[in-house]
Amino acid sequence: MMTHQQASELLAVFALDAVDSDEQELIEAHLAECPRCRAELDAHRDVAAALGNSVGQLPEGLWSSIASRLPPRPAEEPPPMPTLVREGSAHEERTATRFHTPRTAPRRTSRGRLLSVASLAVAAAAVAAVLGVNLVHANNQISSLHNASPASAVAALKVPGHKVVDVESARHVELAQFVLVPSGQGYLVTSKLPTLSSAKTYQLWGVINGRAISLGLLGQDPHGAAFTLGGSSHPSKLGITVEPAGGSVVPTGSMLAAGTV
Amino acid sequence: MEQIGEVSDAQLVTAVARYSEVALAEVYRRHGGAVYGLARRVLNSASEAEDVTQEVFLRLWNQPDRFDPGRGTLRSFLLAQSHARAVDAIRSLNARKAREAKDARRTASAEYDMSHEAWDLALADKVSGALADLPQDERRAIELAYFDGRTYVEVAALLDTPEGTVKSRIRNGMRRMRAALVEAGVQGVDA
Repeated sequence: MMTHQQASELLAVFALDAVDSDEQELIEAHLAECPRCRAELDAHRDVAAALGNSVGQLPEGLWSSIASRLPPRPAEEPPPMPTLVREGSAHEERTATRFHTPRTAPRRTSRGRLLSVASLAVAAAAVAAVLGVNLVHANNQISSLHNASPASAVAALKVPGHKVVDVESARHVELAQFVLVPSGQGYLVTSKLPTLSSAKTYQLWGVINGRAISLGLLGQDPHGAAFTLGGSSHPSKLGITVEPAGGSVVPTGSMLAAGTV
Repeated sequence: MEQIGEVSDAQLVTAVARYSEVALAEVYRRHGGAVYGLARRVLNSASEAEDVTQEVFLRLWNQPDRFDPGRGTLRSFLLAQSHARAVDAIRSLNARKAREAKDARRTASAEYDMSHEAWDLALADKVSGALADLPQDERRAIELAYFDGRTYVEVAALLDTPEGTVKSRIRNGMRRMRAALVEAGVQGVDA
């Protein structure tokens, strides 16, 4: 039996999975009876999760392996509840999957269901590919975007023929909104991009004929930026990457967010 | 009608409990990269990290009730599962030997691979900063335990330091990290 004091001293180590199996059992026995230690352990686990929160590229085919190993469902029907269904084609992933409540909840083990899950994963991968793979070239100089007052963006929203571009992450979270006016001026309207360290900067790209052209640096905490689209070709997309301070000639990683013009 | 991207993690797990494979696929899309990334970092092996990732998601499918939203985020829960399984794997003698052989030729490619998501990037930035700000002896003890999968007894032997001192360093370092992350506004550690 472990005392509260002994267990408490080991909670941080336990949260890192750094105790041996004997101590692990003793701590677990204590945790079952001690809400104070459970709360402290949860706090340590949150820190451990933050430490481990880097993200690797998911290997191709891993989801398919998981989906193929899902065991058969039990025979009894569950009560009706919200389930996820796909609507539309795989290319419409953004709006394709919705919750709805069927009259009777069907089982999820049919081949059709598995294919539908696979389609979702493929569609998600396709979105990532669109954001990441098509935007890999740039060929101009890098400069910081001009500062512009919020009033400029508001005024641009009243110009006839303006276009609003919502720039979203691959998870369809809107991270920024731009407005483009027919004269070629563009303005950052809103930004929810989190502040970066001083060693990094957000960089704005325009995609013209499949090539990513740097439109300039948005800084570590984007707000009130203006830019000009020169030449006769206008971008079909806007995208944002995180780059080392000073910017990059070509995107060094995938787009954090992109939006169709 | 609610789009899947707007559904909360807790709602997704409820749907998983009702055998929704699409919900599990969405959980995988949101958190699979983190689960795999951590396992790969600890194991230094892509194939073993894939095994761990499969185990974590199959376990969520089979035992979704083990996730208690009152005790933390789904990401924290899945990462704890991923880490525990990776550590189990690495503590077998053979895996340890293989890892030590790989460690000798570890390259930059085995380092953090930043997320595509702004939130993860910003978090990684803050965590790196908080870790770098720790006193060196606390940081070293935490890194050896967490990223190398060693017990605190092994860490003590490696550092030629008493076990009690290593326990204290890890506990103090974790508390310091938590305070720094709360101060930096990182959500999920400020409950």
